Amino acid sequence: MILSNIETVPGKEITRFFGVVSGSTVRAKHIGKDIMAGFKNIVGGELKAYTELIGEAREDAIGRMVREAESLGANAVVNIRFSTSSVAQGAAELFAYGTAVTVE
Amino acid sequence: MKFDPSIPEDGINVSRTHPLREALLLVGGVAAIAIAVAVAAAVAVDLVAPHIPIELEVRLFSGWFDRGVEADEAVDPREQSLAKLLGRMAGHWPENPYAFEIAIWDIPEPNAVALPGGVIAVTDGLLENVESENELAFVLGHELGHFRNRDHLRGLGRGIAFSLLLVAVGVGGSSSAVELASLAGQFAQRGFDRDQEIEADRFGLALLAAEYGHVSGAEAFFEHLPELGGPLDGELASYYSTHPLNADRIQALRGMAHEMGWELRGERQPLLSLSPAR
Amino acid sequence: MVELGVRLGIPLALLVLAYFTGAAVERRHYASIRERELRWRSVPAITFRSVPPSWKVTECTLITGSVVISVDYFKRFLAGLRAIFGGRIKAYESLLDRARREALMRLKQKAVERGYHAIVNVRLETCRMANARNSESIAGLEVLAFGTAVKLRNAP
Ligand SMILES: [Zn+2]
Repeated sequence: MILSNIETVPGKEITRFFGVVSGSTVRAKHIGKDIMAGFKNIVGGELKAYTELIGEAREDAIGRMVREAESLGANAVVNIRFSTSSVAQGAAELFAYGTAVTVE
Repeated sequence: MKFDPSIPEDGINVSRTHPLREALLLVGGVAAIAIAVAVAAAVAVDLVAPHIPIELEVRLFSGWFDRGVEADEAVDPREQSLAKLLGRMAGHWPENPYAFEIAIWDIPEPNAVALPGGVIAVTDGLLENVESENELAFVLGHELGHFRNRDHLRGLGRGIAFSLLLVAVGVGGSSSAVELASLAGQFAQRGFDRDQEIEADRFGLALLAAEYGHVSGAEAFFEHLPELGGPLDGELASYYSTHPLNADRIQALRGMAHEMGWELRGERQPLLSLSPAR
Repeated sequence: MVELGVRLGIPLALLVLAYFTGAAVERRHYASIRERELRWRSVPAITFRSVPPSWKVTECTLITGSVVISVDYFKRFLAGLRAIFGGRIKAYESLLDRARREALMRLKQKAVERGYHAIVNVRLETCRMANARNSESIAGLEVLAFGTAVKLRNAP
């Protein structure tokens, strides 16, 4: 599966396009991380635990988007966008969407 | 470039776990953690509490729970007669290291508490509902039992450990998660509380027998207490959960009295000067 | 015992009620979404910023479709517990899935009703509407879908 966030896949031609495909996941961090992050908030700096968590979740969302594209018989998703939103206190949604296409 | 109107497979963005399975797993998990923390805290406190020096306890808590009577304020006469009765009861506990103080709380529900530092608090509701000196003597004896076993410190320690757990749950979870954890924790600590009450009853009963030569009044106290007051909530509800006024406890009292050869019947002393202060 | 019953009983009854009604509402919503997805499958909705070269566009306009969807008590309860352990909040996944597909369908419906043939540069935005009194729980989620609807001389 080829993924891109431009209109095309360079060097290939889009022969067929489908509709929007998307992948999403809602993740919560556990209390331990929450409390550690609370301490870290005093001094600032990167919250490694959260970086990891969000990164993992984003991979998860991309994976689901790819599965949707696969179920259509597409071989690429172009024009991919991400959006992250806080769904509830301590929970974030990672959302990825794009247009499924067949390239040759 | 051709458009293909296919629709992607349904349900890729939704986990297939059944919500009830998820609910069972989460509720079980939270309850298990709360019970584990509650039991661990109770065991740890039971290990530590007997080793806390009494001087340290008194120093730490002195002045926390007494009413802070102003110099010119008239002392409640009930307090004086209670202190006198308490002195008589404590007299049968020669190794008593505390200098006890009495506090009367303006609360309509019958209750009595042993507080860190040697303060025994009784409520208006209790004083208005006891019918003889013996009953009151048993309540005081029971609270003295809590002091002897350092139960007041245990209760405090478990309370602190438990509040910490609930705060931690509250940081991440919702209010219903806190409620669930507190229910599970209270359930786990119930057994510890019950054992303490029985032990305190045993001590109170021994003091009662030593003072009057019989234990009449102890049982009567439990028998008419359940009729008092209405449904309780909040802090007072914990009185009923930690002082379970049930047939079991009366049964246990009878057993103890029988075992020790204490007479359950006897002449009860009338109450003196315990009518509410004007 | 009575006190325990009140403390447990009311929330438990609410949970059971929320579980059954919530599941029924969700089932019905999904059925309606699937039906509309089939009905409007021939209307392309794509994230391309420009129209495919073969399309001859005669007219275009900005178009939006949005929905605010709320969480049932049972799901909120599950999410609250899940927040202790971390991980996927499965209870909210179907909520977002429904909201997003609903918003997209409303977008398509609007476009079709106004005589447009396709939507390009589709974007999706999610916004949480917090409860005014209790900021930790959510009152609802808004999903907004927007894009440029185009009228074609050679409709696909
Ligand atoms: Zn007691």
